[in-house]
Amino acid sequence: MFILTRRDSMALAIGIGIAATAGRASAQPSRNVLVGGFDVGPGGYPGNFNPLAATAGFQWLNLYYDTLVLYDGKLETIQGSLAQRVEPNADKTAYTFHLLPDVTWHDGQPFTSADVAFTIELAKDSRSGSIFASRLGDIARVTTPDPLTAVFELSKPSGALLDIITKLMMLPKHALESLPRDGLDRNPWWVKTPIGTGPFSFVRYETDQFVELKANPAYRKGKPKLDGVINRYFKNSANAVDALRAGEIQFSYVEADEARSFQGNQAFRIVPGNSWVMNYIGFNHATSFWADVRVRRAVMQAINRQALVTSILKGAAELSNSVYIAAPVTPADLDPYPYDPAKARQLLQDAGWDKINGSKPLAWLTYYNTPLVENLMAAMQAMLAEVGIHVVPRLVDVATYNGIVYARPPDLAQFPLVYAGAQNGPEPGAINMYINESQIPPNGANIMRIQDAALNTALNAALGEPDDAKRIAGFQDVARVFNRDLPWAPLWVGTRYGIIASDVANFVWTPAPSGGGYDQQAERWAFAA
Amino acid sequence: MLYYVARRVAAAGLMLIALSVLMFGLLRMTPGDPVSAYIDPAAPMTEADVAALRHRLGLDRSLPVQYLAWAEAAIHGDLGYSTQHERAPVRALVAERAGPTLLLMGSGLLLATIGGLCFGIISAVRANTLLDVVLASLSALGISAPVFLVALIGLFVFAVRLGWAPAGGIAAPGVPLTPGDVLAHLVLPASVFAITQMTMTMRFMRGALLEALGQDYVRTARAKGVAEVSVILKHALRNALLPVVTLVGASLGAAVGGAIFIESVFNWPGMGLLLVNAVEARDYPLIMGAALVIGACVLIVNLLTDLLYAAIDPRIALR
Repeated sequence: MFILTRRDSMALAIGIGIAATAGRASAQPSRNVLVGGFDVGPGGYPGNFNPLAATAGFQWLNLYYDTLVLYDGKLETIQGSLAQRVEPNADKTAYTFHLLPDVTWHDGQPFTSADVAFTIELAKDSRSGSIFASRLGDIARVTTPDPLTAVFELSKPSGALLDIITKLMMLPKHALESLPRDGLDRNPWWVKTPIGTGPFSFVRYETDQFVELKANPAYRKGKPKLDGVINRYFKNSANAVDALRAGEIQFSYVEADEARSFQGNQAFRIVPGNSWVMNYIGFNHATSFWADVRVRRAVMQAINRQALVTSILKGAAELSNSVYIAAPVTPADLDPYPYDPAKARQLLQDAGWDKINGSKPLAWLTYYNTPLVENLMAAMQAMLAEVGIHVVPRLVDVATYNGIVYARPPDLAQFPLVYAGAQNGPEPGAINMYINESQIPPNGANIMRIQDAALNTALNAALGEPDDAKRIAGFQDVARVFNRDLPWAPLWVGTRYGIIASDVANFVWTPAPSGGGYDQQAERWAFAA
Repeated sequence: MLYYVARRVAAAGLMLIALSVLMFGLLRMTPGDPVSAYIDPAAPMTEADVAALRHRLGLDRSLPVQYLAWAEAAIHGDLGYSTQHERAPVRALVAERAGPTLLLMGSGLLLATIGGLCFGIISAVRANTLLDVVLASLSALGISAPVFLVALIGLFVFAVRLGWAPAGGIAAPGVPLTPGDVLAHLVLPASVFAITQMTMTMRFMRGALLEALGQDYVRTARAKGVAEVSVILKHALRNALLPVVTLVGASLGAAVGGAIFIESVFNWPGMGLLLVNAVEARDYPLIMGAALVIGACVLIVNLLTDLLYAAIDPRIALR
């Protein structure tokens, strides 16, 4: 008879444990559930479940909530979502939304215009934790002539309303109406029992680990092909890349250099897209260094932008000579400011740079706290030093950056120069809050204190123009003035990347600003047979 | 003994108050606040929205008022609400995360202590042999390698390349939670966590045991014909354990630091990850609450370590 001693038993138990662990790294969800890092990268907002408080994360939120309108998958045109048709009046002071019939919430209740009116009213009430309050300030009231019609009456014309509405998730009146408005943002409803009208419905949230959704069989476009979707949280994109390579997830945003490492890997597809974020060198106009436009032009011509895009960004960016690169609002007659250090030196000499600042170092602040940007800034630092402008890069986190540039009163010595990004589309009016004089803090985000009368005039004209064609022409004028006056030194618009497993079909993704909102067609996502 | 414990508890209370004041002051001196962390610089919010948010979070009150309000609530067990995490109660968040951290640190420390003691004893008993040199070299490597580097290498090799371990998290998403799955997720981070601690313990154990083996009472025991195993385990080891207990107790504070790195790399949902995310988001209430709880735990462990001294060595009297 074979008898195990105590020592043998322990060894056997440990052996079985190790074998079990090694043989099966981890239990995996069902084959028909897509797992992704949906909140990885700049478009994500992990841990946020309240769409009214969301500054990003709309890609994920759009899987279980829904909006009245959405951009298409290329962020070119705005199309209906819960609204089958939108009719603005001639002067864009009223928008009529015709809702789809037979849409239901995840609990089976019908979606009606009362929900639309309720959502707008809730979003305008800052007690609810909404950050849409001022963005929706132009909506004077919402009327609901019938259950399938909602009319937004505006206090002044707005050509940008629909862009805002692409990020405003509709919320259920019957579920939220009875909850107290004060502290609504910390009500457990958002993380326990939220309901929307999207293709998937909420199952559960494991704090800082993952969020699980399941298919909504009553979805208006038909039951999704996937049984569910899981959003796994990662501390950074490098961790998500590890999970991608380990086969634990099928999708994630990745950094440009990480994307290149997937080239030639048949198991994955690389999906590039316009980031709609223009990177620029911001001149602080409240300081005396940048008052002369010749100095600003010298900065532009001292930097070999094309070389940086080629060598450091590996082509993952498109040069920008003004605030836009998108076709309709970017005129062809912009000065390209080619790399010309001799001309830059001459411009500085003509402007008297020796007397303005000379060789004294200037702090160059950024919130892009990555090795890639560190390399970019080091290269630009060397190029600027070649022509006599001495800058010292300072990389800080977002909170520190915002704490410095929004401080009241600002300490100008801390940011005479910044390297930053600004959202420049798909709605061209988005740029207004960074560069219009009326938007100097505390009114807006013109942190570099740009005061350019010609630019203000061009912006105000474009923003107030109800006619679409004239509006585009107006933003072209903005681009021309910006290109001439260079309140910032525009550099490039980066390309961002998503990685998706090759066996996932019909996956629509684009690196939209804040993650959305665009038509992801999530009901069509499927694993290839 | 009771007087000693009471005195230490009172001192711990004062230290926690000092810690809270220090944390509060340092946080306010750090650039940025919860609202500035909330704003995306590429898509900023309007000033009106920022002001409303600041008011809602109580950041528009004076600093003394903010601290006193926090302290008054904290005394009653209310650590406030996280400014992220859907403004969840800090106490609940910390309680939720304590378990995973205890599991990671506990298993890591257990592994480190057992391994460190065993290898330390082997190294001391086989002093100046090839085995001792190999173990000493490995321990030097373990001590000098930064924990985050070991974690990243471990993740890449065992999770990405070999597929022997999951690439992070505490359990697979979308499947029922099972002890086996948690164990599978635990093995790699706990092993990484154990490496540094184990090598430290091993070196201390080796040094202390070698010293003990050279003492007169060991020579006497050998002269009396006591078996070598008994000489080592019953006579020398017990006396050599004291500095090792000191090390294990003292290393708990450092272990929390290590846990922060490991939890970040492995996305382990413990106190470390909670704290890192809170710092990035300038989540003042959560940072204060988590730091207070971690501080209290370290103080308690230090007290228990001191009490353990007396149990191990009767010559030590606590007054």
